[in-house]
Amino acid sequence: MTLLNAENGKTYTVKNIETGDAELEAFLFSLGCYSGEKITVVKLRKSGCVVLIKDGRYNIDSALAGAIEIE
Amino acid sequence: MRIALAGNPNSGKTTMYNVLTGRNEKVGNWAGVTVDKIESPLRKKYSVGSEGVIIVDLPGAYSMSPFTSEESITSDYVRNARPDVIVNIVDSTNLSRSLFFTTQLLEIGIPVVVALNKTDITDKRHNKINTKLLSERLGCPVVSTSADDGKGVDKLARVALNSAGGTQAAPFVGKKATDRASAEKADRERFAFVNKIVSAVETRETKASDLGIQDKIDDILTNKWLGIPIFAVVMFLVFQISQSWLGAWIAEGIVFENGFELYGLVTLIDMLGAWVAGLMEGANPLLTSLIVDGIIGGVGAVVGFLPLVMVMYFLIALLEDLGYMARVAVVLDPVFKRVGLSGRSVIPFVIGTGCAVPGVMACRTIRDERERRATAMLAPFMPCGAKLPVISLFAGAFFGESRWVGVSMYFVGILVILLGAFVVNSVTGYKARKSYFIMELPEYKAPSVSKALISMCQRGWSYIVKAGTVILVCNFAVHLMQSYGWNLRPVENAGDSILATAAFPFAYLFAPVVGVVAWQFAAATITGFIAKENVVGTLAVCFVGLENLINLDELAMLEGTGAEIAGVMAISRVAALAFLVLNLFTPPCFAAIGAMNAEIKSKKWLFGGIALQLGMGYSLGFMVYFFGTLFTGAGFGAAWMPILGWTVVLVFTLTILLLSLKSKRQAAEKADAKATATV
Repeated sequence: MTLLNAENGKTYTVKNIETGDAELEAFLFSLGCYSGEKITVVKLRKSGCVVLIKDGRYNIDSALAGAIEIE
Repeated sequence: MRIALAGNPNSGKTTMYNVLTGRNEKVGNWAGVTVDKIESPLRKKYSVGSEGVIIVDLPGAYSMSPFTSEESITSDYVRNARPDVIVNIVDSTNLSRSLFFTTQLLEIGIPVVVALNKTDITDKRHNKINTKLLSERLGCPVVSTSADDGKGVDKLARVALNSAGGTQAAPFVGKKATDRASAEKADRERFAFVNKIVSAVETRETKASDLGIQDKIDDILTNKWLGIPIFAVVMFLVFQISQSWLGAWIAEGIVFENGFELYGLVTLIDMLGAWVAGLMEGANPLLTSLIVDGIIGGVGAVVGFLPLVMVMYFLIALLEDLGYMARVAVVLDPVFKRVGLSGRSVIPFVIGTGCAVPGVMACRTIRDERERRATAMLAPFMPCGAKLPVISLFAGAFFGESRWVGVSMYFVGILVILLGAFVVNSVTGYKARKSYFIMELPEYKAPSVSKALISMCQRGWSYIVKAGTVILVCNFAVHLMQSYGWNLRPVENAGDSILATAAFPFAYLFAPVVGVVAWQFAAATITGFIAKENVVGTLAVCFVGLENLINLDELAMLEGTGAEIAGVMAISRVAALAFLVLNLFTPPCFAAIGAMNAEIKSKKWLFGGIALQLGMGYSLGFMVYFFGTLFTGAGFGAAWMPILGWTVVLVFTLTILLLSLKSKRQAAEKADAKATATV
């Protein structure tokens, strides 16, 4: 499943990120968002979601949320 | 000796830089405030005898591999310019992310000093970081600091100065990567190394996920339904407080119910002028005029609008410090996505309400080139501080000082930006790569009033400098050009002057917007391209009889002269509104065009952007006049005027349509070629 099907307040493990944009994936990596790392969903919205990566909060849009596979 | 400040975005580098150097560079509570390298000498009180110490502030970066163009400034600088010491500002509230970059900096070989910043927040949350152990693990000095209240800064400076000239051993050396897979493997190892350090040195009582209040505020401010109305109310309050309440009170004074009057700055300057004129009675009239009208009046020129603009700068600075900007970007992201931009473009637009130049510069943090260029050419559509005098003059003269004129111009500005974005999008074609939006949400903090005051004074001062230089010189030149003919002799009728004859051909071009062929409006519009405030000054100088009604030095009307000004200009209210729209949405000033040039980095895009601004301003102005006149039933002036106006609008629209068709065809051809290639 992806972040789009996640539940508020739950912590998941990133399984795979498929954006087709290597630079963006490298950027996400430098934030600490890569396969095997934890990601917490703070708030899920229709337009995207707020996630907690390491100790930082980020708002990501639904396109990116749909590209992040979690388990 | 050079000490470079490097670290993650929004870790407090520029705040630290300001403390170390005594400068007042722009700070804000979001990632990506600093977009360029800046440097300044270290303050004496920190340099403990060392001389020639330069502090270099760099844009924030998450890693040595740049993601956006301002991040590459940082990695290029620390790699190639070889500073003597790197002070790595680490956000202690997000240690696990920050140390990734730290370990990369440690590999360069230049001595690194870690400033563990924002310790005031970690202390408040009872989270502890063992600095001694951290220093041992990293192999470099670690100093606890709080740049916001200056704590630990003197120690940081001392340690940094002591480290100069030494070498740096890296606690972790990433394996040389040859391809993407091996690079990722090396980065994974790096993060594993960082995670080990963090779990050893950090004890958290408050987890990052426990910030319930922050999330509750976010729920409201970025709510799907409430987010945009809240933003509209916030911006409305900014304008209301700066232009009708506080700002206006300081400028114009207040009369209390019991009759006691608190003079405003404008009145005080006038009184000073009158007093000095009284003292100089009997002196050379030229000298009196120079001092009273020139010097005192020149100061007054600024005072008229300065309180309004400064209060606005103050309020925007508070918003920037609060952490609201990132939320606005989130709220408006879905709206701007529809026209091919993203939430990233919102921050330049909001900053543009103060001044277009920093607004355009803020575009640098936008990664997608097309999106960055489009934002840079659209940001000047936001009515900025310099456009306020123009709005005030027309609102006052033609619309009984009604507030809706000013407020509606901001909303028109937003609509024009959306429309412009749509145009740019269809002309240049949709982006090749899918656009993703990610925005760090910084923690809210109580905005610092003193910092906002400093920011306000600084920007207010540059407003004064501009008024005392560019505007003053322009008014002077306009005055001369309309007093003298081509034979360099004074003219009796301003219609024979250099200015009038030079501006006359343009008067035909602008006639469809105002309904009359008047060189004065043409001259005002053209000088307005140099700096927008010139519109008011030039109109005042050019219209016979207007000079007595508008205080030229204050760029504002004298009280109760609105109807008279309207009479002298001899145009209808519709024409006045149209002329205002023309001036607000054509290019704002030379400085903004210069900034556009710097950020857009393409002559084709730059000229396209200027053409868009010219075409948009003219078309909107004309249409306001045409449809307004249609509704009010007034005359159109000469028959050729609407014909010329519609011709311009049609040419503008057709050009856009043709260009969009061309870009669509090219995109289709590209897709075809790709399809053939894969077959």
